[in-house]
Amino acid sequence: MTEFALQDQIRARAKELLASEQVQCVIGYEHGSRGQIRPVFIHQSTDTDRLVWDQGCTHNLVTYLRDKKGAFGSGEHPQRVAIIVKPCDSRALNVLLAEKQIEREHLYVIGVVCAGIVEGAGYAGQSSDKLQARCLRCNDRVPVIYDLLVGEPTQAETEDDYIDLAELEAMSPAERAAFWLKQYERCILCYACRQVCPGCYCSICMFERDDSLWVGIAAGTKEKEAFHLGRAYHLAARCIGCNECERVCPMELPLSLLNRKLAKEVQALFHYRAGDKPSQSPLATMLAEGEEFPA
Amino acid sequence: MSEHTFQPRIIAFCCNWCSYAGADLAGVSRLQMPADFHIIRVMCSARVAPEWVIKALLNGIDGVMVLGCHIGDCHYISGNHRAAKRFVLLKEMLSFVGVNPDRLLVDWVSASEGRKFQKLVTEFIERVRELGACGQRHVEIQTPHR
Amino acid sequence: MKFLSREALQTWLDRLANEATLIAPRLVDGILLYRSVSSARDIVLDYTRPKMSAKEVVLPSSEPILLVEKRGQDVNLSEPPTGEQVVFGLRPCDAHGIAVLDAVFVAQEPVDLNYARRRNATTLVGLSCPQMWEDCFCTSMGGMPNDPSHVDVLLTEVENGYAVTTVTDKGRTLVAELSLQEMEYEPPESVLNEAELVLTQEHWPDRFADQYWDLLAERCLECRMCAYLCPVCRCFDVRDQVVQQGISYSKYDRLRCWDSCTGANYRMVAGGHNPRATKGQRLRNRFFCKFHYFPVEYGLSGCVGCGRCIEACPVNIDIVEVLRDMSRASNAPQTSKVSPNAETGITA
Repeated sequence: MTEFALQDQIRARAKELLASEQVQCVIGYEHGSRGQIRPVFIHQSTDTDRLVWDQGCTHNLVTYLRDKKGAFGSGEHPQRVAIIVKPCDSRALNVLLAEKQIEREHLYVIGVVCAGIVEGAGYAGQSSDKLQARCLRCNDRVPVIYDLLVGEPTQAETEDDYIDLAELEAMSPAERAAFWLKQYERCILCYACRQVCPGCYCSICMFERDDSLWVGIAAGTKEKEAFHLGRAYHLAARCIGCNECERVCPMELPLSLLNRKLAKEVQALFHYRAGDKPSQSPLATMLAEGEEFPA
Repeated sequence: MSEHTFQPRIIAFCCNWCSYAGADLAGVSRLQMPADFHIIRVMCSARVAPEWVIKALLNGIDGVMVLGCHIGDCHYISGNHRAAKRFVLLKEMLSFVGVNPDRLLVDWVSASEGRKFQKLVTEFIERVRELGACGQRHVEIQTPHR
Repeated sequence: MKFLSREALQTWLDRLANEATLIAPRLVDGILLYRSVSSARDIVLDYTRPKMSAKEVVLPSSEPILLVEKRGQDVNLSEPPTGEQVVFGLRPCDAHGIAVLDAVFVAQEPVDLNYARRRNATTLVGLSCPQMWEDCFCTSMGGMPNDPSHVDVLLTEVENGYAVTTVTDKGRTLVAELSLQEMEYEPPESVLNEAELVLTQEHWPDRFADQYWDLLAERCLECRMCAYLCPVCRCFDVRDQVVQQGISYSKYDRLRCWDSCTGANYRMVAGGHNPRATKGQRLRNRFFCKFHYFPVEYGLSGCVGCGRCIEACPVNIDIVEVLRDMSRASNAPQTSKVSPNAETGITA
C-alpha cells in the first residue's frame, strides 16, 4: 500500500471515530512549517484531513498520553483518545499499560505498518532518503498492539547485533570514562531527552527536585552524570528504543548508547525485551509471578 | 588521607536480619579487619536503591558493598532476588561508563557468618585500595565562563 | 575602510588567546559553540550561527554568585573571580541579545552585580553574516546581519581579509595594537530575507484569551530548550548548596542557574498552587513576555530573530508561524520591516 493509501485510511477512521464520539481526540501527525512533520491533536471530525502519514513521522506520540492521564480518572466523562503508533511506539504503549499509567479502554490504537523513518525527520529540510539508525536495525514492521491495523503486514529479516556499542565496549574503562565525561560537557541539562520519553512520566523527576536531594541545580559534570546514568537505569527493561531522546538532543549526545547497552544486557540476562506484551514491567525492579533470580 | 597509603572510603549496606548480624558477630568474635568502611543498616538488601550506589560512587565514595541474606533465606522472601537483578544491571552500566564494576560488591552473608563478613570486607577494601580513588573522575571541564 | 588581512587576524587572535580568555565559535564534538580557544586554529570562521547563543558568556548556565566559608564562628563571604574575556566571531543577533540582557541587568537600578562583573570584563568582536539563513528573521526584530550597534568591534569578511569597524572606546583600545590598512572598498551588503509582519506590542493583550495557546501547547514537550538556546531568555533560579559540611569548617555556594517559564514548576508557589498550571498558559507567557511584557517594560523586543528555537524545537513550535498567526488574527495595523538601530526596538 502506498503512503497515501495508508494516510487516507487513517483519515477515514479518525473521521468516523470523532463523528461518532467514540473518541474525543485523535493524536497523530500533520504537516508543519518549513516542510516538517509535527504531532497534531485533532478534536473535530472536520479537521481530520490535517492528518498525514509518511516517512517523516518520527515522533513517539505515546509520550502525550501521560498528559491525558489526568483526564482519565477524573470523574464522569473520561477522555477517550485515538493514537497513531508505529511498531516501536506500540511497545511504549505496552510499557505504560503494564505500569498502569493508562487504561486500555481509554485508547483506540491505530497501528501503522512502518517501513522506517528518514533521517532529519521532525526538522526542517527532512528530505533525506536515508533511514534513521534505529530503523535500519529494527526488526518490527507491525505494531504489537492495535485496534486498527493500517498497512499490509510484512516481515523483516534484520538482526540487531548491537554493533553501535562495539566501539565503546572495546575501549578500556579509562577511555570509556573519558568518552562519557566528554559527552556531558556539551549537555545543557535542558531535559528534552526526559520530556520526549514516554517512559519518563514522574511528576517530579528525582534529579530535579527543589530540595536538591539527589542532584543540585548546578549544570556541572557531577549533576549531568547523575542524571544521565540515573535516567538510563530507570529505563532499563522499559526503554523501547525509539531514539527520540537522541533525536531531540540539541547537543547531539549519543544517549541511545546507554539505553541500548542496558537493553542488550536485559536481553542477555533475562531474555526480555521491553513492551512486547502489556505485562511484566518494570522488570528491573520487580519480580514477576513465580520468578526467581538468580534462576 | 595518609600520604603513603590511600585510605579508601567505603560504604557497606547491610540488611538487618542477616548481614548486619553477621557483621556484629564478626565484631563480637574480635575478628581482625581493616576499619575503612562505614556500615549503613537497612531492613533488606532490596531497600538499597541503585541510585544510592550511583550517588555514592559519583560523590567521592570509592567502593560500595551491598550485603543481604542468602538467596532463599530473605526475611521478606524475595527482597534479595530483586537486589540481585538490580545490581547485575547496574554493574553493566557502571562498567559501560568506565567505573570499575569491582567497586560494587553484592554478596550474601548470613547472621552466623562472621568469618565470611571478615573475609569479604578485608578483600574488598584491598581491591578498592588497588583501584584507587573513584572521585577523581570529575575534573572540571572548560566552559567559557570558567 | 580599515582592512585586516587573514594572516594578521590569525596572529592577533593567537595573541588574544594568550593574554585573555578568548571565546570564539569552535567545534565541540561536531557541535559549533562559543567556547574558549587556546589558538586561532581552533576557530571556525565559516558558519551560520553556533548552536547556543553567546548568553553563556555573561550569564552562564549555572554559576556561583556567592561563596560562603565558615571557620568556627567566622563567616567569610566572597565573590567568584572573573577574568578578562574577549568574544570573537559574535553574530550581530547574539550581540543584540547581550544588549537586551544589559537592559535588564545593568541599565537600571538595582544593577545585577554578578552580571555586571562579567559584562564589564567582556569585549565583543562581532562578525557580520554574509546573508540571512533559512530560520533567520533578525531584520524583523530591529536587527541586521551586519549591525554594528551592539559590539565593540565589527568585522565583515571581504576579499583576503576583513573590513574592521570600531564602535566603542573599548573596541578602539582592543584594536589599537593592530596595524590596519586603509582601503577604498565598501564591505558587501548582507543578503536579506523577506521581513515578517509583527503584531505591535499593544495588540497582544487582545489575543490573551484565545484558545490558540492551548492548542499550540498541546504538542509542547516543556523541554525548555527554546529558552536555553535563546540569546535573550534570562530567567533563573537561585539555590544555596552545601559544598562541604563539617564541625570546624563548612563551605556553601549560592548558585544561580537557568530556568524557563515553559517548565511545569516555574511558577509554582509554596503550597503547590500553580498560576500557570497548563501548558497553554506557560507557552502563552513565553510569547507574551517576548512581544508584549518585555517591550512594555524595557522598550525593546524580547526576540532578536536568530531562529535558534525554530531550528531546535523537536515538535515544530515555530515562533515565526506564531507571529504570522497573531498578525492574521488581529485586525490591528502592524509594522513590517523595522529599521535597525531604532532606540526603542520594535515601534510601538
